Amino acid sequence: MRPLVPRRTALAGGAAALAAGLAACAPTGAGKVNAEAVIPPSDGPVTLTYWAWLKDLQKVADKFNASQDRITVNATWIPGGNAGGYAKILSAVAAGGGPDIAQVELRSVPEFALAGALTDLSRYGFADDEKDFDPGAFAQIKVGDSLWAVPQDTGPGAMFFNKDVFEGELGLTPPKTWDEFRTVAEEVTKAGKTLMTLDPGDGSVLPFWAMQKGSVWFEPQDDTWVLNMADDPTMEMADFWDGIFADKLVSTGYGAFSTPWYAAAGKGDVLSYVGGSWGDALIETVPGGKGKWAVADMPRWDDGYASGGLGGSSAAVLSTSEHPAEALEFLRWMCTDPDGIDAMIENSGIGWSPAADYIGKSREKASDFFSGQKYNVDVIEPMAKGQNLDWTWAPLMQRIIDRLGDGMLDVVGGGSTFTKMLPQAQDDIAEIMRKIGLKVEIAK
Amino acid sequence: MRSKSAPWVLMAPFLLLFLFTMVLPIIIAIVQSFLTVQRTGLVGEDGAVSRFAGLENYLAALTNQNFTDSILRMLAFGVVQVTVMIVASTILALLLESASARWPGLFRAAYFLPYGIPGVIATILWSFLYVPGLSPIVDALGWVGIDVDFLGPNMVLWSIANIVTWTYTGYNMLIIIAQLKAIPADLYEAAKIDGAGPLRVVTSIQLPLIRPALMLTIIFSIIGTLQLFAEPQVLSSMSSGINSEYTPNLSAYAYAFQYNDLGMASAEAVIIALAAFILSAAALGISNRLGRKS
Repeated sequence: MRPLVPRRTALAGGAAALAAGLAACAPTGAGKVNAEAVIPPSDGPVTLTYWAWLKDLQKVADKFNASQDRITVNATWIPGGNAGGYAKILSAVAAGGGPDIAQVELRSVPEFALAGALTDLSRYGFADDEKDFDPGAFAQIKVGDSLWAVPQDTGPGAMFFNKDVFEGELGLTPPKTWDEFRTVAEEVTKAGKTLMTLDPGDGSVLPFWAMQKGSVWFEPQDDTWVLNMADDPTMEMADFWDGIFADKLVSTGYGAFSTPWYAAAGKGDVLSYVGGSWGDALIETVPGGKGKWAVADMPRWDDGYASGGLGGSSAAVLSTSEHPAEALEFLRWMCTDPDGIDAMIENSGIGWSPAADYIGKSREKASDFFSGQKYNVDVIEPMAKGQNLDWTWAPLMQRIIDRLGDGMLDVVGGGSTFTKMLPQAQDDIAEIMRKIGLKVEIAK
Repeated sequence: MRSKSAPWVLMAPFLLLFLFTMVLPIIIAIVQSFLTVQRTGLVGEDGAVSRFAGLENYLAALTNQNFTDSILRMLAFGVVQVTVMIVASTILALLLESASARWPGLFRAAYFLPYGIPGVIATILWSFLYVPGLSPIVDALGWVGIDVDFLGPNMVLWSIANIVTWTYTGYNMLIIIAQLKAIPADLYEAAKIDGAGPLRVVTSIQLPLIRPALMLTIIFSIIGTLQLFAEPQVLSSMSSGINSEYTPNLSAYAYAFQYNDLGMASAEAVIIALAAFILSAAALGISNRLGRKS
């Protein structure tokens, strides 16, 4: 007659389950790992796990596994960062588990450090490797003196354009400066075509444009973040785009590489894309585009830098990893050794190489798709070398980009301008950063 | 004695799953909605503490204008879209169940078909009919001098409503048909003998007797409206009208999965659940009162 489980036991069990649930949602000892003693390299064989959304990453790991017999790397595919991958990584770390290495976009690296999810690699001698990396790539994983991840690929900006229509049909030349970009955009608009389209809610183009202009929006000074999102270079850049938007010289109907974009680009109605070098692989899927497209420098300002960076990823060693030294050894190989770079380009289709002097074998050749141009050597490499090395990503970058994207929607809708919106966004962002306990100052 | 424990043993697989995938996450979400994380140092390297925040997250959610705007937006959406959809479902169901309907099976299947298409795919399909330059509808309207931008800030909400209506009308119609089929034939016979015409049968027999099904579909639709997610998410890359917190669920999703602010996300999720609960209860209350009057 008695119930299977006495009521008191059942309640106790429930309370235990509840307590376990509560323990799980407390933050992990953020920063604790980076204050404790470094973990020495292991004597025996080591197996590393690696979560990333790059395709066929296991084939890259297999090459490394075959090259030595101490470390075995197992790669697991996860969904893209904001499509659920980040939530998966952060939940695993919060529960005290997770892989040794995870893919984190360059701009999200400080955000992961903030969540206590990363191992500071400067404590494992990673600073000595700086010379082996492309300075533009290495600069993006640095916050103060800490090195939070290994850069895996970057996206130096360039201009991809439909040469056939642009030069052949309209008799234009690719713009060298942003002023020329405006003139060209007027010509293209007059001809009933579109020079470029922007996703109206994607704020990531704003830091891309600002870093090229020479601004450093987020500056770490001691323990304080100094915000410069409304400094003179930024305002000059904002004023330029206000003019472009007011005169409707670029389309804000849909973003590049969206379904309607491909349809329009295939018809020769949308003529160019100014963005990260990884855009090449996507542009190669424009229907009927072969031999018609070409690559040119990103239009630039009189001052500032040759290019900016858009996108790119890192491979980060998580704070829960028990083998950070071995993980770093593998990542060193993958991201600087020519074998590693070539394997990543061939199997995973990464963006621009993070290594100092090696762009990848297949990228030294002329491209059939891009009008027989050796565009990687002739265009992208100088763009990668002309980056703003002072740029630092802030924590909460995803939120900042979304705030900028919402501001951009207001600009597109005619309710605001970039020159008005950016200072407002800066105030909001300072408030958001302060709310979680960071020290923030707005530069005067 | 054995028979006493048997049901528990047999139910155990379900109960365990239910406890760990439904009850526990809800409890954790509620607990989390009262917690906040404070960090120190440039990127939190000087430590982080999770502390009890009282109603801070709730206040932050309710003073987050993007979030409150999204709730008001969904209310406007629901009032129009749910009404249109339920009326359309009811009319379709009544027509298909009327004596003079031809090939009711075929049409039932045809109307139900859109429900089988996942929301994301449906939205991509519809986007081809919305995007200027690609859409034959926009072109055709342009020829007769009507310029519409289906994805503009003022129109996109109703473009989404159109997709949702297209998807769910057939599904709701099926629920109503199931109830119509349960009406005993002798009621129709009696009505016929009393000389009731088809319209009279609808108003005096069918509509009153399908009220439970209508209630069910209305409550499902209210909850569905508050949970709108895939359609605006997919359209956001093509529309200047959709921000990152366009619907309450998109807002909670952004905080949970993009901003890693679980306290705020949980508070928003609890508010969404409470709103769905209150609205559903209100719908039931109105229905009961109307039922008593008639």
